[in-house]
Amino acid sequence: MNILDIRNLTIEIDGDNGPIRLVDKLSLQIAEGEIHTLVGESGSGKSLLAKAILGFINPRWRVTADRLWWRHYDLLALNPEQRRVVTGRDMAMIFQNPGSYLDPNASIGAQLQECIPSGDLKGLYLRRRADRKTRAERLLHRVGIKDHDAVMQAYPFELSDGVAQKVSIAMAIAHNPKLLIADEPTTAMEPQTRSQIYRLLSKLNASQGMSVLMITQDLTAIMPETKRISMVYCGQLMEVGTPQQLLEQPLHPYTEAMLSMSLANHNTPVKTRLPTLGGSIPTMANLPIGCRLGPRCQHARRACIDTPRLRKLKQHQFACHYPLIEVKNYD
Amino acid sequence: MIRYSIRRLLLLLITLWLLTVLMFVLHHLFPGDTLTNMSGIRQSDGVAYQQAQQHYAMPQSWLSQYWQFFLHLLHGDWGQSLVTQRGVFADIMPQLGATLELTIMAMTLSLVIGVPMGMYAAVQQRGPLDRVIMGVSLSAYSIPAFWLAQLALLLFAVKLGWAPISGQLNPLFNITPVTGSVIIDILLSDSPYRGAALKDALQHLWLPVLVLSSIPLTMLIRITRNATLDVLQQNYLRAARSRGLSESRIMVKHVMPNAMQVIVRQLGLQFSLLMSNIIIIETIFNWPGIGSSLIKSIYERDYPVMLGGLFTLAALILLVNVAVELYHAWRYPQVRKELYAER
Repeated sequence: MNILDIRNLTIEIDGDNGPIRLVDKLSLQIAEGEIHTLVGESGSGKSLLAKAILGFINPRWRVTADRLWWRHYDLLALNPEQRRVVTGRDMAMIFQNPGSYLDPNASIGAQLQECIPSGDLKGLYLRRRADRKTRAERLLHRVGIKDHDAVMQAYPFELSDGVAQKVSIAMAIAHNPKLLIADEPTTAMEPQTRSQIYRLLSKLNASQGMSVLMITQDLTAIMPETKRISMVYCGQLMEVGTPQQLLEQPLHPYTEAMLSMSLANHNTPVKTRLPTLGGSIPTMANLPIGCRLGPRCQHARRACIDTPRLRKLKQHQFACHYPLIEVKNYD
Repeated sequence: MIRYSIRRLLLLLITLWLLTVLMFVLHHLFPGDTLTNMSGIRQSDGVAYQQAQQHYAMPQSWLSQYWQFFLHLLHGDWGQSLVTQRGVFADIMPQLGATLELTIMAMTLSLVIGVPMGMYAAVQQRGPLDRVIMGVSLSAYSIPAFWLAQLALLLFAVKLGWAPISGQLNPLFNITPVTGSVIIDILLSDSPYRGAALKDALQHLWLPVLVLSSIPLTMLIRITRNATLDVLQQNYLRAARSRGLSESRIMVKHVMPNAMQVIVRQLGLQFSLLMSNIIIIETIFNWPGIGSSLIKSIYERDYPVMLGGLFTLAALILLVNVAVELYHAWRYPQVRKELYAER
């Protein structure tokens, strides 16, 4: 069962020469308890997608979609206040630089306790306060922070990035969200912290059935528990599939290029050029028509000036006129 | 924090000491007899003058002269007025009370009105009320205080008769000034007409307080608006919104404390501005504070009173600035981190 169902989500802003499509007809489905990874370079619109799901919408953006459903709520039909209630209750988000998402003038303890929903607490005033505190401590233990007293008393600037990220995860899971959106949560961190955080997220996923939408730049550094990967380029969806499908037999030239670029796959001889995708990411004002990978794609032909439809081969979806292997029985 | 406090307090002491040096030099540079400038005793006073010469070590070196002057200053012996022959220190203390009464009320008023208005304007950014608030505050800020005071007097005191034209209290009430602050004095006195006196005092008070607060009030509105706009764009605020916290809770718990950090830092500066305005306002409203006595002493070339008033005002400004800085560092922990880390 898909808990999040997005069909053809489009985000436009006004440019000098008409509207600019930052996100072009992107579709995304997340099943209950699934870890879904969204891979794309910076500027590909993956963070915009996350913000559109949560409803952090800048008034200048025009967000349209054929379908933007969260469980049985049509998010586009709700007014902002109702939407905030739904997303605030069911979703949570963690970010790349966690320090800047914590209030610099409030102690961690105060901010953490604020996140605990009052409905969960029992008893009268004093008991509720004590209950709130013990719950906050338990949250810190769950994200792997042992000396809760020191962290609760600290201010955000006193924490390292890894601890701050753990704290923001603790704040995110305080109300048991159904979906956690993690926007490049480990990009600025050392590998050790990264694997700690990945382990933490997969544990939460396994123990509470919390779905995770992980947003990352690196196709080879995804969480091992990832069920499906979506490749995004310039706001267009390129390919969707299981990690096995994408890593072993990609169908889209972009996925293949990303794989060959990553250093983990290298056994090239010394002093050879590292493979890169030619050209650069187009600027917002000069987006190519049709398949936006077109100008950089080695397989591009005339047909690529029409945007390819998302085609399906079993659970493997791709948007390309000329997939890398001969595909016959798709629909 | 302790090291920082000690550093600030030492700086305060050194600045105050430099002020005394400046005063000493000024006594020498002012026209007339140095000893007369310092003590207010004229040569024609005969024996008293000769005694003062001994007390202030006049025949000796400048260094011992300064030392005697400094000791007198510390003991609260600031000489006597050339005009009234009364002790300067004893006169200044009630004046300080009167000035502080005006200052504290004006500052409180501008904080209580300015901060919420600035925050409101920021939340309604570019809305009609934001434009009205910003327009009015900019025009009020550009009106010079002396002109505004006279306009207000003309309108409220002369035309409408809502307030008396000048002074602190109707002299009929016969309240003896103790602290100089008229409200405290009335409460301290055992006059049978305390209630009526209090009402009269408040009638005298509201107009100068209103005029005096116009500058810090308009500045505070603008500072608060900018600070709030800045905070509203911060990531932690978006994160707080995404957690489904109510708008009022976000404003009170996250926006206000962070905006206050910027505002508190500005308060010391606003206080200095207020002090320069209060001199004019007190003169216009004939308020018996340090400001009006300073202007009067300048007209009368009453050097002991002039320098005493200057020293008190300067010390007050310094004290408030240091207090604001200490509070700022104590209340906002990341300021301390900057203090120790960015050196």
